[in-house]
Amino acid sequence: MATESSESEEEGKITGGNQHLIVEDDLREMGKKAAWSVSSCKTGNGVSSLRDDNLETYWQSDGAQPHLVNIQFQKKVKLQLVVLYVDFKLDESYTPSKISIRAGDGFHNLKEIKTVELVKPTGWVYLSLSGNDPRETFVNTFMLQIAVLSNHLNGRDTHVRQIKVYGPRPNPIPHQPFQFTSREFITYSTVR
Amino acid sequence: MKLKQLYVLLMRLAERFQMVQLVIIFLALFTGAAKEATVVFSEAAALCIQNQYLHHGLPSPNLHMSSEDYNLVSSRNFGSEDVSPRKLKHTQGNNLRGIPGNHHGAVVLSGAASQPQNGGPSNMSFYNTPSPMASQLSGVAPPPLCRNMQPNGSNLNTVNTDGSPRSIVNSTIQAPRRKFVDEGKLRKISGRLFSDSGPRRSTRLTGDTGANTNANTAAVAGNGTNNSSKYLGSSKLSSVAPRTVTVRKGQSWVNENIEEGIRNEAFDDSCANVASTTSSSFSSDNVRSLDHDGATVLVGGVVVSGAKAVSGASEVLCLLRTLGEGYRLSCLYRCQDALDAYLRLPHRHYNTSWVLSQVGKAHFELVDYLEADLAFSLARQVSPYSLEGMDIYSTVLYHLKEDMKLSYLTQELISTDRLAPQSWCAMGNCYSLQKDHETALKIFHRAVRLNSRFAYAHTLSGHEYVALEDFENGIKSYQNALRIDSRHYNAWYGLGMIFFRQERFEFSEHHFGMALQINPCSSVIMSYLGTTLHALKKSEDAIKIMDRAILADRKNPLPMYQKANILMSLEKFDDALEVLEELKEYAPRESSVYALMGKIYKRRNMHEKAMLHFGIALDLKPSATDVATIKAAIEKLHVPDELEDNLSTE
Repeated sequence: MATESSESEEEGKITGGNQHLIVEDDLREMGKKAAWSVSSCKTGNGVSSLRDDNLETYWQSDGAQPHLVNIQFQKKVKLQLVVLYVDFKLDESYTPSKISIRAGDGFHNLKEIKTVELVKPTGWVYLSLSGNDPRETFVNTFMLQIAVLSNHLNGRDTHVRQIKVYGPRPNPIPHQPFQFTSREFITYSTVR
Repeated sequence: MKLKQLYVLLMRLAERFQMVQLVIIFLALFTGAAKEATVVFSEAAALCIQNQYLHHGLPSPNLHMSSEDYNLVSSRNFGSEDVSPRKLKHTQGNNLRGIPGNHHGAVVLSGAASQPQNGGPSNMSFYNTPSPMASQLSGVAPPPLCRNMQPNGSNLNTVNTDGSPRSIVNSTIQAPRRKFVDEGKLRKISGRLFSDSGPRRSTRLTGDTGANTNANTAAVAGNGTNNSSKYLGSSKLSSVAPRTVTVRKGQSWVNENIEEGIRNEAFDDSCANVASTTSSSFSSDNVRSLDHDGATVLVGGVVVSGAKAVSGASEVLCLLRTLGEGYRLSCLYRCQDALDAYLRLPHRHYNTSWVLSQVGKAHFELVDYLEADLAFSLARQVSPYSLEGMDIYSTVLYHLKEDMKLSYLTQELISTDRLAPQSWCAMGNCYSLQKDHETALKIFHRAVRLNSRFAYAHTLSGHEYVALEDFENGIKSYQNALRIDSRHYNAWYGLGMIFFRQERFEFSEHHFGMALQINPCSSVIMSYLGTTLHALKKSEDAIKIMDRAILADRKNPLPMYQKANILMSLEKFDDALEVLEELKEYAPRESSVYALMGKIYKRRNMHEKAMLHFGIALDLKPSATDVATIKAAIEKLHVPDELEDNLSTE
């Protein structure tokens, strides 16, 4: 992780949200290889609702702010994008408003890499983890923490319906410096 | 004798279910009681004929006859007569149209079985041949088989008498219609015998009957003339027979008989022998069971002469020989030779679904996906409901990244047969192309459950495990595939790739070597072997193999790229650049080529050229990781420039 804290203090405001989840082809969902945990939850609305691909179910927190979602990987992974599904129309005062994303090796050395303010979001919200530097397209980390710092209308607890984490696809051909892009190369690159 | 009881019982059932007769025959063969089998066959044959006549409005006391037949046949056992063929012959004549296919097998088998009882050698050969094929026997032929064979029924039935000249003529007359269905069946049968694709029961059954027929005919050929030579030939032939039988299955059961006999000697002059053999085989036995006694041989009301039969037989024989040759070469993975062999076929035989599928498969092994696509799509036009080889077609479309065609193919295959592993393999390939590897894996597991002896399904699930980075399960899947078919070079390749990723280069070299041994014409495997050798520091060998790969397939850019990689790590920058320049001609829009060139120029400190190439590489939209790498490299390019500036200003 090479981003400096000065960059992470930039705030972005995001309004609205997409109804459909559209992600680039060269990204793949990394959440299946991670251990997910939350700081608190109401019975029946636990962390599994965040990963069940069902937008009807949601996670509801049940403690003091900030509410945290921790995503821990077994090895360092490159992450590029975090996508949340939140809906102001359905959740009103439970809708998160200020979100901070932190990364690090564990709970002891998390550092904030992105802060964003949502304004009445209704759908999928894309939070890119890339820095401005082209060398910082990815965040290479063991752990990611999504912190909900405040909610709309000053609500205490929060609802989040779904979270997905994306990283780059590995090179299908091992020990190759660059990935192939043209059809001629890809056609001949493997035997199936 | 319990076989006899079983037979009688089954014959009773046979009134209602004609296919049971085939079961009888198979059971007989399977129990290895060859002698009894011949008896059974002849009875079964007689019964079949009788039944068929029955269906066409002829009164016949089948069952009673069958027991009589049996007695007669057993009494005849070591005679040189052929009861059943004659019976068959007599029962031919009119109305053979509606005869279902499974009777053909029965009839033919009986014909074949009853013939060889001439003298020692032919008997022995008869006993020798059935057993390997007996193991291929399987259950009852389901109705579709009958349906499929229906159009050919008339031909085959008339032909069923061993070596009857009429039959040959019959088949040639009917030839155009028959080829359509037959080639598909041929493919299925050959697939069953020589690969792991789970055959449909209908095809298995027809294949079995064909195989049996062949064995029997090989023995039968010893009738009368040339016993000793035929014996030798037949034992050799029996090994060849299954393949040729499968290839020819549709053509004519009886023709096989004749052909086998012909094969034993020269392919040309046996016709006369066969003709004489067949005439000699007619004895004055057991005709009573048949309703139509009498020596007239009718084929659709036309009496055919022996000469025509002979020329027809040799024509069919040549055809079968070409098909067999092509198939043999493609099994040896000498794909170019196989293609040449298939091209020698006459036009109307080439344009059948089995041959076109084999051609497509040969192109696929040669890594010539466009030609393969063409051949397979023609095959589908010719025979849209055949499934054999369609798993290979789906892989071809996967390689060509034609997701539209692939999903269309999948839909068609699933609607044709939901329970065939090939359809599910195609669907899995479709999902894998969309990069949805988990769903693809589930679907390949389904294909495996449908037929656990279908090696390709195991290999494909191995590929999906690797894509999901689950190497342990991937290794298990590939090993399953190899357990089923140790000549499945895709599985060897897959294992080689896993070990390559895990950096166990010796293992990887061994596995790529095995894959290459099996399929020596695949340039992709050669290039991977080269990369592995380079990783093992055997760089000269690596370069040699790369050159071989480049020569083998000029359209494949991969070996050249890998060669450039190797040269770069050997620090032979000029050679590497040369290769890459050549590669630029082949694939002008490949960003990795420019990226690699940029890297080489950077190593040689030619910064302007490096910048140029990195810029072009970025323009060609590489993947995100590569963008990052390239941009990082560009940043680093500037630092030495600054240093130089600093030094110059000092």
